Amino acid sequence: MLDAGRHPNIKIMAYSEVEDAKGEAGNFKVKIRKKARYVNENICNACGECIEKCPKKAPDSFDMGLRDRKAIYIYFAQGIPAVATIDKDVCTFFLKGRCKLCEKICKKGAIDYEQKDEIVELDVGAVVIATGLEMFDPSHLTQYGYKRLKNIITGLEYERLINATGPTGGHLLRPSDKKLAKKVAYIQCVGSRDLNNCNYCSSVCCMYAIKDAMLAREHDSESDSYIFHTDFRNVGKWFQKYERRGKDEYGINYIRGRVAEITEDEEQNPVVWYEDTIERKVKSLKVDMVVLSTAAKPSSDAEKLSKMFGYELDENGFVRKNLPYPSDTTVPGIFACGFSQGPMDIPESVAAASAAADRVMETLAGLKLKKRA
Amino acid sequence: MSEDVLVIGGGIAGIQASLDLAEMGKKVYLVEKKPSIGGIMAQLDKTFPTNDCSI
Amino acid sequence: MEEKLRIGVFVCNCGTNIGGFLDVPEVAEYSKTLPGVVYVKENLFTCSESGVNEIKEGIKNNNLNRVVVAACTPLTHEPTFRAACEEAGLNPYLFEFVNIREQCSWVHKNEREEATQKAKDLVRMGVARASKLEPKDRITAGVIPSALVIGGGISGLSAALSLANRGFKVKLIEKEKKLGGLVKSLYKIYPENINAEEYINQKINEVKKNKNINVFTSTEIKNVGGYIGNYKVKAENDKGNELNFDIGVIIVATGAKTLSPEGLFSYDGKKVIDMLQLEDKLKNDGISQYKNFVMILCAGSRNNERVYCSRICCMSAIKNALLIKEKNPESKIFILYRDLQAYGTTNEETLRRAKINGIRFVNYSLNKLPEVEDNTVRVYNEILGKELLIPADLIILATPLVAPEDNENLSKKLKVTLDENGFYLEAHIKLRPLDFSTNGIYVCGTAHWPASTEESTTQALGAAARSSIHLEKKYVMVEPIVSSVYYEDECRGCGLCASLCPSNAIEMVETPKGVKAKVIEVACRGCGICGASCYRHAIRMNHFSDEQIKAQIRAFLEE
Ligand SMILES: Cc1cc2nc3c(=O)[nH]c(=O)nc-3n(C[C@H](O)[C@H](O)[C@H](O)COP(=O)(O)OP(=O)(O)OC[C@H]3O[C@@H](n4cnc5c(N)ncnc54)[C@H](O)[C@@H]3O)c2cc1C
Ligand SMILES: Cc1cc2nc3c(=O)[nH]c(=O)nc-3n(C[C@H](O)[C@H](O)[C@H](O)COP(=O)(O)OP(=O)(O)OC[C@H]3O[C@@H](n4cnc5c(N)ncnc54)[C@H](O)[C@@H]3O)c2cc1C
Ligand code: SF4
Repeated sequence: MLDAGRHPNIKIMAYSEVEDAKGEAGNFKVKIRKKARYVNENICNACGECIEKCPKKAPDSFDMGLRDRKAIYIYFAQGIPAVATIDKDVCTFFLKGRCKLCEKICKKGAIDYEQKDEIVELDVGAVVIATGLEMFDPSHLTQYGYKRLKNIITGLEYERLINATGPTGGHLLRPSDKKLAKKVAYIQCVGSRDLNNCNYCSSVCCMYAIKDAMLAREHDSESDSYIFHTDFRNVGKWFQKYERRGKDEYGINYIRGRVAEITEDEEQNPVVWYEDTIERKVKSLKVDMVVLSTAAKPSSDAEKLSKMFGYELDENGFVRKNLPYPSDTTVPGIFACGFSQGPMDIPESVAAASAAADRVMETLAGLKLKKRA
Repeated sequence: MSEDVLVIGGGIAGIQASLDLAEMGKKVYLVEKKPSIGGIMAQLDKTFPTNDCSI
Repeated sequence: MEEKLRIGVFVCNCGTNIGGFLDVPEVAEYSKTLPGVVYVKENLFTCSESGVNEIKEGIKNNNLNRVVVAACTPLTHEPTFRAACEEAGLNPYLFEFVNIREQCSWVHKNEREEATQKAKDLVRMGVARASKLEPKDRITAGVIPSALVIGGGISGLSAALSLANRGFKVKLIEKEKKLGGLVKSLYKIYPENINAEEYINQKINEVKKNKNINVFTSTEIKNVGGYIGNYKVKAENDKGNELNFDIGVIIVATGAKTLSPEGLFSYDGKKVIDMLQLEDKLKNDGISQYKNFVMILCAGSRNNERVYCSRICCMSAIKNALLIKEKNPESKIFILYRDLQAYGTTNEETLRRAKINGIRFVNYSLNKLPEVEDNTVRVYNEILGKELLIPADLIILATPLVAPEDNENLSKKLKVTLDENGFYLEAHIKLRPLDFSTNGIYVCGTAHWPASTEESTTQALGAAARSSIHLEKKYVMVEPIVSSVYYEDECRGCGLCASLCPSNAIEMVETPKGVKAKVIEVACRGCGICGASCYRHAIRMNHFSDEQIKAQIRAFLEE
C-alpha cells in the first residue's frame, strides 16, 4: 500500500468516483469527481489534533459502526493518503454555520470549508476495474436474528473486534454487556449458496471462520469455537493443513449441520438451533456470541460502472470474464481483477491483478504497433 | 492515443495492478471512492492461511 | 583521509505525536552536545515540505556530511529524507533514521521524563552510527531482454504468447515431444465446456507462428547459472544436442500430473478407471456401453498421506457427469464426495444443474471409505446414516494433481524451493504468489498448486507481467545494502555462506589466493545470513557493518 503511495508513476485519487466515461481502447475519456474533503490534501499531514478537539461524533464505518469517529476524521490510521476528511453531513459548521474549531486548531492551515468537488478529465488508453466486494446485509434473514438479537455479528464486524487497533483494542467483547465472549459459534453460508440471495459460494468465509476461531484462541486460551458448515470449502494452497490445525491445535469444533434458527436466553446468550446432519437430530447450543459468515457481494457500484463503460456483468453481478481470457471484460481495453470478477482471496486477487496489468500492456503495445503500421 | 491507465478501486487488487503497471513504466491513475486506499484487506486483522498482519 | 564529521540532527515534533509526550526542545538541546554534531534543528513536521526544505538548507548552509532525523519510522519516510539528502548533494546513505515515535513517544505516553531520556539515548545511538556511515552507490546491472519459459502447457503457452506479443524474445522449453500439457488429454473444459483439443491447438498454433518465440520440444534444462537479468541456461534435446541461452528472466510452468490410481479402490484400468481415462472415453465416444456410473472423489487426497485438496476434481467430475447425461440421458450417475468444492461465481449453479439433472450426490467420510465390489460400490452415507449399495458398470476415481518428480531436480538447478508437497514455493503466499524469493524467477499454473485452466491462465499472464517489469526497465537496481567479502584474506573458501544464502547471491570463485566467496551484488538482498554464519568474520554487511552497529551499542552503554 505504501509502495503505491510513493510510486512516482501512480497518482492516487482517493475520495473520488468515476462520473462519466466514453471512448474505446487506446482512447477513453473519463470524468472523475474528486469529492471535497474540506481539507487541503497537500497541506494536511494527519497529525490528528483537529480530530481530538472536534465536538461532533458519527458512527465509524471503517470499524463497521462499532464505535464512533469525529466529524473530521482519518479513515484509518495507516491509510493513504494520510489526510483528514470532514464529513459534511455531521459537521456542526456545515449543519449550523458555526464551530470552525478545526480551522482554529490546525497550525498548518489545512482546513478549507470553501473547497468544492472537482471534476478531473482523464485521457487513458486502458481501464482496470477492481471495485471488489461489499458485505451482504443479513437483516432480512430473520432466522439468524442479526440486528434483532444483540450478540450476533458479521464476519467483518468480528475482524474489527479482534483487531488491536479496533474498537475494543482487540478484545472479543460482545455487544450486549461488553463481557468477554468465550464461547462463539460461526454460522457458514449466510446469504451464500442461496437461490434467493447470493447464488454462489463466497469462497473466503470457510477459511476466515477458521482464522477467526484461531485468533480467538490466541487471545484467550479458554475460548471455545463451533463452526457450523455444510461443504467445508478450503481449496487453496495449504488450506487443508490450516483446517486440520484449527481442529488439532486450536480445538475448534467443526459441525456439519444446517442452522435453522437462533434464539436468545434471558441473559442475551444466543442459542443456536441446528440439525446435526451426521447424527440426524435437532440440537441446540448456547453460546456467548454468534458470528455470521455473511456472503460477499459485488460492489454496489458494479452495475453503474458496467453501464457507463458498456461491459457485461454475470448473473451474480460480477464483471463477466471474457473467457478464455480471464482478465478481459466484454469490452476491449477494459480489464478486471480481484473480487469484482467473483469471489477470490488475497493471493488470487493479487495474481489476477498482475494478469490484468499484463493484458493492459499487451493491448497498448498492440495498439501502438497498429498505429505505426 | 493515450498510454496512461485508469484503475478503479484501491483494494489489494487495484493496488497490485497499479504497482505492476507503474513498474512497467505506465502512468497510472488509481481512483478510490473511500477517503483512503486499502479496501477490505485494510480492515482485516490477520489473514489466512498464515495469520500474519494484513497491511 | 577521513574528513571531519559534520553531523546535522533534525528532531521532529510530529505535531503533538512526539512533542506532546516528550520534551523535544530538550532532546534537541542534548543533541548539540554529541560528538560530531554541528547543527541541530527542531521541526514541527520534518516530513512536510517545509521540514524537508529545512533539511536541504541545513545541509547546504552548514556543509553537513551526515544527517540524522529523529522522527517516525524508516517505513514511512526514509525514502523522503534520503531524497532530500540527495537533492542537497549529500550521498543518501549518509542518512540515519532514529525512531522516537512508534518506539518511544507512542509507547510511553504517560512517562514524559523517561520517554525524553529514551529519546536522547536513541539519538545518541543514531549519531554514533551515523559517524560510521559510508557513502554508497546504488547497484545496477543490465537485463537481457529475453525470457525462458519452462513447460509448454496452457500456462507456459499463455505466458510465452503474452511476452512475445509485447516484443520480447521467448525461449519455450517442453520436455515432451508435443506442446499442450494436460489440457491436451481433456475432452471439454469447464466452466464453459469449450472443446479442449481445439482450444489448446489454437494456442499452440499461435505460439508456433509467433516470430518472437523459439519452441524447443523434447528438451530439458541441464544447468542454470548467473542471476537476474543475466542467466546462462544450458539445455539438451533428445538428440543429445546442447543448447545455450542468455536469458533475462525465467518463468516456471511445469504443471502437475495426476496421482497414479494403482492400488486405490480396486483400480484395474478397465472397470475402475481414473478421470483422465474418462476424459479419453468421452472424447472417443467410449461410454455408450455403460449405464451405471459411480465417481469417487478425493481418491488419494485429503488423507494423512496427502493432506491437500486438489481443487479441480469436484468440478471436473460434475462437468463430466453432466456430459455423460447429455450423451446418454438414461445413465445413472452417483458422485461420492466428502465436501463439494463448487467455489467461485459460476460453479454453484453448475452443481445445482447437476442435481436437477438427476445426478446423485452421496457424502462419505474419511473414516469410512467406499468399497468397490463386483458391479457395486458399497458406501456409508453420512447424511442418511445408512449403508448404500450402488450398482456400477464404470467406476471413476478422481485422483489429485501431484507434483512431477523432476521438480526436485529442476528446483535445484534453478535454486528455488519446493513446498512439502513438492509444488513450487512462492515468495509470499498472499502478497507475492507468482514470484520466487529469488528475484528474476516466477511461477504459474499447476506447477505452483492445483488450479483450473482459467486460474492457470490468469497466473501465467500475471507471471508474464511480473517478469516483464525487468524486461521493460532493461536494468535492475538494488540498494547497496548488500553483503561483501570485505576481509577476503580471512575467507577460507568453505562455502558455508554460499550454501545458506537464500538468494543464491554468493558464488565460490577461484582466485590466485585460492577459492573465495564472491557476492553477486544484484542478487543479494542484504538479509545478513552469510555474515552471521561466517566463522572467519570475512563477510561484512554494507550499511550494517559490525563497526556501525557496535558504535551504536557502545553509545547506548555510554550515557
Ligand atoms: C470478513 C472477511 C475476511 C477475509 N479474510 C481474508 C483472509 O484472511 N485472507 C484472504 O486471503 N482473504 C480474506 N478475505 C478476502 C479478501 O478480503 C479479498 O480477497 C480482497 O479484499 C479482495 O480485494 P479487492 O481489491 O478485489 O477488493 P476490495 O478489498 O473490496 O477493494 C475494493 C476497493 O474498491 C473500492 N471501490 C468500490 N467501488 C468503487 C468505485 N465505484 N469507485 C472507486 N472505488 C471503488 C472500494 O472502496 C475498495 O477500496 C476476507 C474477506 C472478508 C469479507
Ligand atoms: C481429469 C482432469 C480434468 C480437468 N478438467 C478441467 C476442466 O474441465 N477445466 C479446467 O479449467 N481445468 C481442468 N483440469 C485442470 C487442467 O488440466 C490444468 O489447469 C492445466 O493443465 C494446467 O496447465 P499447466 O500449463 O499449468 O500445466 P500442464 O498442463 O501440466 O503443463 C505443464 C507442461 O510442462 C511440461 N514440463 C513438466 N516438467 C518439465 C520440465 N522439467 N521441463 C520442460 N517441460 C516440463 C509438461 O510436459 C507439460 O507439457 C483438469 C485436470 C484433470 C486432471
Ligand atoms: S466459503 Fe464456505 S461459508 Fe462461504 S459460501 Fe462457500 S461454503 Fe459457504
